[in-house]
Amino acid sequence: MNSQKTKDFILSNLRRNVRETYDKPDLSFAKLEYPDPVAAFIQTATTAAGAHVVEMNESDDINDLIRNAYPHAKTIASNVPGIKADINPDDVDRPQDLDGTDVSVVEGTVGCAENACIWVPQTMKQRAVCFICEYLVIIVDRKNIVNNMHEAYSRIEMPEKGFGAFISGPSKTADIEQALVYGAQSFCGVTIILR
Amino acid sequence: MSTQHSKKANIFVKDTAVVDRHDATFWAVRSKRDKMAHEVPEWENLREAASMIKKHTVTHLADYLEKFASNAEKNGVHVHWAKDADEYNAIVLDILRNHDVKKVVKSKSMLTEECGLNDSLTAHGIDVVETDLGERILQLLGVPPSHIVMPAIHITREQVLECFRGHGIIDKEGQKAAESMNGDLKTLIAEADPTFLTRCARYHLRDNFMTADCGMTGANFGIAETGEVVVCTNEGNADMSTSIPALHIVSMGIEKLIPDYESMAVFQRLLARNGTGQPTTVYTSHFRKPRPGYEMHIVLVDNGRSDILGNEDHWQTLKCMRCGACMNTCPVYRRSGGYSYSYFIPGPIGINLGMLRDSDKHYGNCSACSLCCSCDNVCPVKVDLSTQIYKWRQQLDSMHHADPMKKTMSEGMKIMFDHPGLYTSALRMAPIANVMPSWLTGIAMEPWCYGHTMPVFAKKSFHQLWKSDLKGKK
Amino acid sequence: MKVGLFIPCYVDALYPEVGVSTYKLLRSLGIEVFYPEKQTCCGQPMGNAGFQGKSEKLVERFDELFRGYDYVVAPSASCTSYVRFFHPEIVGHECEAAGKTVDLVEFLHDILKVKSLPAKFPHKVSLHNSCHGVRELGLSSPTERNIPKFNKIKDLLQLVEGITVVEPERPDECCGFGGMFSVEETGVSTKMGQDKVRRHIATGAEFITGPDSSCLMHMQGIASKQNLPIKFIHVAQILAGE
Repeated sequence: MNSQKTKDFILSNLRRNVRETYDKPDLSFAKLEYPDPVAAFIQTATTAAGAHVVEMNESDDINDLIRNAYPHAKTIASNVPGIKADINPDDVDRPQDLDGTDVSVVEGTVGCAENACIWVPQTMKQRAVCFICEYLVIIVDRKNIVNNMHEAYSRIEMPEKGFGAFISGPSKTADIEQALVYGAQSFCGVTIILR
Repeated sequence: MSTQHSKKANIFVKDTAVVDRHDATFWAVRSKRDKMAHEVPEWENLREAASMIKKHTVTHLADYLEKFASNAEKNGVHVHWAKDADEYNAIVLDILRNHDVKKVVKSKSMLTEECGLNDSLTAHGIDVVETDLGERILQLLGVPPSHIVMPAIHITREQVLECFRGHGIIDKEGQKAAESMNGDLKTLIAEADPTFLTRCARYHLRDNFMTADCGMTGANFGIAETGEVVVCTNEGNADMSTSIPALHIVSMGIEKLIPDYESMAVFQRLLARNGTGQPTTVYTSHFRKPRPGYEMHIVLVDNGRSDILGNEDHWQTLKCMRCGACMNTCPVYRRSGGYSYSYFIPGPIGINLGMLRDSDKHYGNCSACSLCCSCDNVCPVKVDLSTQIYKWRQQLDSMHHADPMKKTMSEGMKIMFDHPGLYTSALRMAPIANVMPSWLTGIAMEPWCYGHTMPVFAKKSFHQLWKSDLKGKK
Repeated sequence: MKVGLFIPCYVDALYPEVGVSTYKLLRSLGIEVFYPEKQTCCGQPMGNAGFQGKSEKLVERFDELFRGYDYVVAPSASCTSYVRFFHPEIVGHECEAAGKTVDLVEFLHDILKVKSLPAKFPHKVSLHNSCHGVRELGLSSPTERNIPKFNKIKDLLQLVEGITVVEPERPDECCGFGGMFSVEETGVSTKMGQDKVRRHIATGAEFITGPDSSCLMHMQGIASKQNLPIKFIHVAQILAGE
């Protein structure tokens, strides 16, 4: 097995087999927009995505909101400044040690109204914290809600750690007789705190 | 007059309850897809854009691959190149051995299915665990997928229960699963409750995520500009597979490349809407770098793709992003099931990809199309699926796979239609015998009568009526 | 305006009354209609079977017979679409006649822009939007696509006095004919036909009507095998007031 040889073969075969080339298309057509993107975001998040949305007011304490959303949580994991947590994923050596986390709290930087996707960049050492928990809380600022994925992709930034995910509601499956079930391999529920 | 596909389909279609359920399931997905398509005013612009981006990318693929590989390497990712399935399987095995991997957790990848990776790894003593629920069910049952997006759709909840029971999963995880739902174990088992079964699988797979040494994913997209891969799932299994085990291996067909984020937005908007009728998959995960202290590998696989690019009639199959919509809308797929097709990808795209893979093995799927063209209209990247199937049919004769009866009939039709005199006298004779002349219409009598009564010939054809009643009259 | 009338083989042999209605309808609209007697078939049966090469001569003759007319009109969406889109490819050059070949519905709706018809048909009909009519000729908006909704066949039928036009659930799903498909994939084709006829019947209509005799023949064969209570009539017959 000679990787360079294979690479050369594939690239030359591709170059040889092109008959006609095509230009990259113009993508400037009008895109879906909402009169009130935040309202549209909430609508999509609570219906299609199956998430809970908590609209935070100035007087609210964010830790109270999290506690109210998950009053029975025994273990909360987060590295978000100001969030009361039992575990900080930055201090965990083995991702396996995060198993059993009831609630993880993360920050999203862009929310998208058309599909309730929130961009969650990896800011923590162990990104498993975002997926291994029973419930996920995502904090996102109202001002960062955009209309559609074109806007979202023009806004997101890849963090230094080189991983980020758009997340839209809880983990789902319909693999058994098309019955929709929340909580397949990852979190069973999501609360979005709109700050 | 039958084909490999039609023989199996004729059996499948006999069980009306099964075929109706299969049809209704996928029609429901098609309907959800339509609703999604109609909620996006620029839907048709998106399809055109997606088609053009793919056309652009695959006709500049060598350049984009070099760019992608170079950027990925700058990000600290190991990039490998595999010419075919054997090379691919060997590369993966090599990486796994170098890391002394005993267990791999895998998120769904059609490419690994195409290359037979699981069997290859298992043969070398590596424990491979599929983590997509549907794929895991099939793996435990030992059967192949019947659809590329909803692979286990043909399996009933009772079959899943039996399967899980047989593998000790109910014994081990049942109590915990029932408690998590505040339900009664016996009742949940008696009902073969899908939530209960999903929870059992959740705990069963959780153990595997915890103990695996390597996570493998496919790639829905590779982004040349940044050297990253994008994986879309609903279950979060790709994220679990790659955030716990030390090693991450991505298997990516070379045609999965797109230029940049701007392009990615177009595909992200189309993929789930078109495939499952959701506005998005739950997770759209971007992997750019290995986790600190760990390794990430990307294996770029050709396996015939660079040859397909040179195929004038079929190169546009390289645009396909495996959303499955052409299967869902295909009236033949819905009524014949995935197993009637000889290739592991069924439906319109599968007919074409199977022929490109091995026409001697898969030509029997070419009959599975009424040329209704619905697939062409749902395809998010505008692959000309039905035209391509029509073109394969034209080639079957030169491949020595034409049905002899169809050939005889076509030759008969040629004689008849090339000689108007013969044609009109045949028309005069037809009603006397009232036998549908197969050389006239391509309809062979015996199979026709399986589902139809015989058509009744008019006493006088239009040709005759023209001469006797219409010609020269006001 | 000189129109060449193309009566495809199915219509010629099995449903000549559809041809007669088409002729009379065109004449009643003041069109000069010619019927080249040496015409046979569009070649689609051979093409679907995988032998389009065998129709080269037929295609060339079709062009010779019909190229002198302003339009070639056929009461069949599928045959029209085959002529228009496949003939040039089969012979490897442009075909003058193919470019001028239109289905009767297109001719009335788009070219003549007919706004009234003297026909009466006091019945409820379920409209069969046949695949090639929908997805190749664009007689109606395909349900798969996000484009403004339209249906030219329905527009025309609604000019007929007393008619009620309905569409079945899944209004443009294939009926399962597909030429050679119906004899090669008997099980699936029959099932598709049964499902389609059942959905048409569920509308409460007395008739299934459509622009393609081939689809109607397929569904009629299935309905009659199962003794299903529904009648069939080609769009041309209703529009002609027959």
